[in-house]
Amino acid sequence: MEKTLRVINEITRQGIISAYAIGGGIAATYYIEPMLTYDLDIFFIPAMEGLDILAPIHAYAEKAGYKTQGEMILIEGIPVQFIPVYNDLIREAVENAAGLKYRDVEAKVVTAEYLIAIALQTGRAKDRERIIRLLDEAVIDRTVLARILEVFGLAEKFKKFKSRFYEK
Amino acid sequence: MKNKTADRIFRQKRARRAQLAGLPFEKKIEIIVELQKMAKGIGKNARRAVWPI
Repeated sequence: MEKTLRVINEITRQGIISAYAIGGGIAATYYIEPMLTYDLDIFFIPAMEGLDILAPIHAYAEKAGYKTQGEMILIEGIPVQFIPVYNDLIREAVENAAGLKYRDVEAKVVTAEYLIAIALQTGRAKDRERIIRLLDEAVIDRTVLARILEVFGLAEKFKKFKSRFYEK
Repeated sequence: MKNKTADRIFRQKRARRAQLAGLPFEKKIEIIVELQKMAKGIGKNARRAVWPI
């Protein structure tokens, strides 16, 4: 895992991507009880706009000898899914990512408040479960969460979610 | 309807989850890898490999 994170940091250092943050199940696991997952999701801000913003990452990976598995790149044995920021919420989540340390490697991770907002926006069954677990187990800054939900038009959706799952 | 036994069990489960949530990140990754190993024994899927941490 630390080798994988080192490679992702190197991709950033070389300017292939502008910034990144770990998202998905691994990001959630940073804040809550560990859950089974197989992929390392990386949200990233592309260094350049273009038709194929994944191309520079794939070119780097190919040169370094890393194989692809469908959409994923197998970096030091871990399937990494690079996901370009696809809306303003994800972009802001990457810009405001928290720092984490895995062994001696530093990395960036989406904060719990943004993970809740992203899961609410995505809205799959597993996202709903993730929101509940984050609300129950993680330390959430309610003021920060409220601002994010308001800015990205998710406040009403969150109110309905809370009403459905938390009020009897 | 309130059930004291169920309430106690759910309270303990919440406490256990909170305890696991507080583990160091490195330990959590080790647990994920253990889960991957267990799942590997159930079904074969080349895309679901155990992480070499």
